[in-house]
Amino acid sequence: MSKYRVIIFKLIKLLIIIVIVDMVLGIAAEKLFYTQKTGKYARSTYAIDQTNAETLVFGSSHAHRHYVPDVLENELQTSAYNVGAEGQQLLYHLGLQKMILKRVTPKTIILNIDEDFLFNSTFAYDRLHDLYPYYGDHKDVLRPIFAVNNRFVDIKMFFKSYLFNSTIVHMTRYYVSPQIDYKGYRPLNGTVSEKEIDNYENDTQPKSNLIDSNLVNALKEFILNAKSNNIKLVFVTSPNLIKGNYKQNRSFSLINVIATEHNIPLLDFFNDPRFSDNHDFFHDPSHLNDKGAKYFTKLLAKEILAL
Amino acid sequence: MYFNSFDFLIFLPVTFLLYWFLDNRKIVFQNLLLLAASYIFYGWWDWRFLSLIALSTVVDYVVGLKIYESNSKKHKKRWLLCSVFFNLGLLAFFKYCNFFIDSWIELCSAIGIQNQEFTVMRIILPVGISFYTFQTMSYTIDVYREKLKPTKDLVAFAAFVSFFPQLVAGPIERATHLLPQFLNKRSVSQGSISLGCKLIIIGFFLKLVIADRAAIYVNAVYNNVELHDGLSFIFATVLFAFQIYGDFAGYSLIAIGTAKFFGFDLMTNFRRPYFAASIHEFWNRWHISLSTWFRDYLYIPLGGNRVGKFRWFFNLFITFLISGLWHGASWTFVLWGAINGAYLIIEVLLKAKSRKGILNIISTFILICFSWIFFRANTVSEAFCIVKKIVLQPGKLYIGMGDDIAAPFYAVLAIIVLIGFEIWREYIGSVKQITEKTEISRMLAYSLLIFLILYLGVFGDSQFIYFQF
Repeated sequence: MSKYRVIIFKLIKLLIIIVIVDMVLGIAAEKLFYTQKTGKYARSTYAIDQTNAETLVFGSSHAHRHYVPDVLENELQTSAYNVGAEGQQLLYHLGLQKMILKRVTPKTIILNIDEDFLFNSTFAYDRLHDLYPYYGDHKDVLRPIFAVNNRFVDIKMFFKSYLFNSTIVHMTRYYVSPQIDYKGYRPLNGTVSEKEIDNYENDTQPKSNLIDSNLVNALKEFILNAKSNNIKLVFVTSPNLIKGNYKQNRSFSLINVIATEHNIPLLDFFNDPRFSDNHDFFHDPSHLNDKGAKYFTKLLAKEILAL
Repeated sequence: MYFNSFDFLIFLPVTFLLYWFLDNRKIVFQNLLLLAASYIFYGWWDWRFLSLIALSTVVDYVVGLKIYESNSKKHKKRWLLCSVFFNLGLLAFFKYCNFFIDSWIELCSAIGIQNQEFTVMRIILPVGISFYTFQTMSYTIDVYREKLKPTKDLVAFAAFVSFFPQLVAGPIERATHLLPQFLNKRSVSQGSISLGCKLIIIGFFLKLVIADRAAIYVNAVYNNVELHDGLSFIFATVLFAFQIYGDFAGYSLIAIGTAKFFGFDLMTNFRRPYFAASIHEFWNRWHISLSTWFRDYLYIPLGGNRVGKFRWFFNLFITFLISGLWHGASWTFVLWGAINGAYLIIEVLLKAKSRKGILNIISTFILICFSWIFFRANTVSEAFCIVKKIVLQPGKLYIGMGDDIAAPFYAVLAIIVLIGFEIWREYIGSVKQITEKTEISRMLAYSLLIFLILYLGVFGDSQFIYFQF
C-alpha cells in the first residue's frame, strides 16, 4: 500500500508544481497580452476596458470593415467605436457586449447582421477562444457562453497558460507589423476583380441550412441586454455587390421575425441599388472598400437619424 | 476517443485508479477492466465497429488454438490461411474496396470502355483497422511458426487485441511481446509511472506544438496547389516532415506512456529517424513496429536477401509497395512506397547502406522529404505538379495570412527545440543528464513543457494523421 501512497504523493507534488509554473508564467503571459497596442486583442481590450463611446458597432468583418466611426461621429454628433471582429459570430458578439455593459452603457448599439448568423456553424464556437484571455476578469458573463458547447470549460479555463494560448503568436505578428485601426475600423483598399466575382458566385451557398437554437438564444439575449439597459439597438445589413434573394434565407427570415417581435428596426442594405453592381465601392464581392464604407456609413447615419 | 481530448483526460485517471484498485484480486479482473475500458475508448468514435474487433478477436483466438491442436502441417496451414484471409478480407473490404472499384472504372474509361456495372459504395473506414488486423495476424502466424503457444484465456487475448493505448495507431505489437504481459501479474512502480508521465508530456508537445502548428501552414499550401510556388512547397514539405514525425511519434510516445501506467511495456516506434545517414537506416528508425512487421511477415518469407540479386530487389520493392498501400487506399501512397523501395535498391547498388556523416544525414533527409511530397499530396497529379513547381517555378515564399501568419514561425521554433533535444539524445547523452539532477528540477522541466503545450499548442481535437490508416 505504501507504494501507491508514494506514487499518489508524487503525482500530487507534480500537479502542484504544474499549477505554480502555470500561475507564474501565466501571469507573465497575461502581462504581455495587455501590452499589445494594435491588433484584434488590443481592439477588444480597449472596447472592454476603456471605450466610452456612445455608439458601438458590433458584428463580423462586415461590421469591422464597413462602419467608419469618424463618419458616424460627424453625422450623428456622437462618439463611436467599432468593435466588429473578423470571422466572429453571435456568441462572440454577445460575450463582448456583456463585458462592455458591465462597465459602461452606450446610447446606441448597431449590430451588423450577416444573413447566415443563425445557421449551425462550428466557427461560431471554435472562434470563441478569442475571448478566453478575458475569462479571469469576466467569468460571470463568459462562462455561460463558453459552456454552451464545451463540457470541460472549468478544467480548461483553470490553466492560465490555456487562457492565453496562441496569443503570443498574434502579439509577435502585431509587434512586427502593427495593425493600424481608426477607432476600431480598418479600411480595405482596391476594387473587386472579375475573377473574385466568379469565385464568389460559385461559393455563395451556406455551409449549413440548420438553425442553431444556441445562436437564436444568443441573438435574443443580445436584444434583451440592450433593452434592459435602455440602449437603442439597430440591426443593419451591409450592401452586397451581387443581388441575392435573402428573403428565402431561413436564418435571415428568422432574424427578421425576432427583430419585429422585439421592435428592433432592421435597416436592410443587402440589395441596395446604390451599391449593387457598383464595383467602385467593393474590395471583394462581400466587403466594401474605404470609399464604399464611408458612403455606406453616411447613408446609414441618415437612416438612423430618421428612425 | 482522442488522446488530445478532455474526455481522455478524465478517462485515463479513472481507468488507472480502478485498475490498481483491483491489484490484489485475480489478474482476470484487471484484464476485464482493460477490455471494457478499451471497448469504451474505441466505441467513443463509433460503437458499431466494436463488432469487427470482437469478431477479429474470436476468429484469431479460435484459429490460434486450432493451429496448435492440428497434427499435420497441412491442417495448420489451412487454419492459418483462414486467419490471414479473414483479416486481409476485412482490410480489403473496409479500406480498399472503393479504391479498387475507382481504379477499375478509371482504367476502363482510360482505354475507352464505359463501365456502368460498378458503383462506389459508401463504406466508412473503421479507425485503426490496419493496426489491429496486423497485430492479430502476427499472433496466428507466430503460433503457426511455433514461436508462441496459443492462449486459452479469451479475456486476456481480447484485452491484448483491443488494448486501448495502442489500438488505433500502434505501435503494432507482436503477440510474443505483449500477450505474455496480459497473462502475468503486472506491477506498478514509481519509476514506470514517472516514465509514463514523461513520455505522455513529450508526446503531447510533439503533437500539439510541432505537428498541429506545422499543419496549419502545410494544409494551407498543399490544399491550394495552384496558388503556390516552388519555394512554398519546399518549406511546406520540410514542415510536413516534422508534422508527420511529431504527429506519429507523438502518438506512439503517448501510447507507450499510457501503457506504462498499467504496467505494460510497448515497443519503441521511432528512434530519431531524421538522424539516419541512409534510407536503410531511416527505415530502421521510422515506424519500427510496422517496418519490422513487414520484414518478418512479408520480406523474409519472400526470401529476403538470401536469394538472387534480381529477386532480392523484387522483394524489397514489393514490400515497400505494399507498405505504401497499407498507409492508405490511394495511388499517392503506392507511389510513396515505390519511391522508398527504389531508394533502397539504388542504395544496395551503390553499396551505400552504411553511410555515415552529416552530409549523408542531410542528403537522406532531402530524399525522404521528396518522398513525403507524394505522401502528403492530395492526388498523384498534384504531387507531380508540386515537383514541377519546385524545379521550374521557385517563385516567392508564402508566409501565411490572417490569423495563421505566425504559425509556421512557431512551428520552426519548436522544431529547432526538438532538433536540439534530439542532437543531445543522439550524440551527447540521455535526457536524465538534463532533467534528472534532482526530483524538483525534473518536475520543473516537465511542468515547463506542459506550460509550453498549453500556451503554444493547437487545441481543437485535431485527429492524428495515422488514424486514417
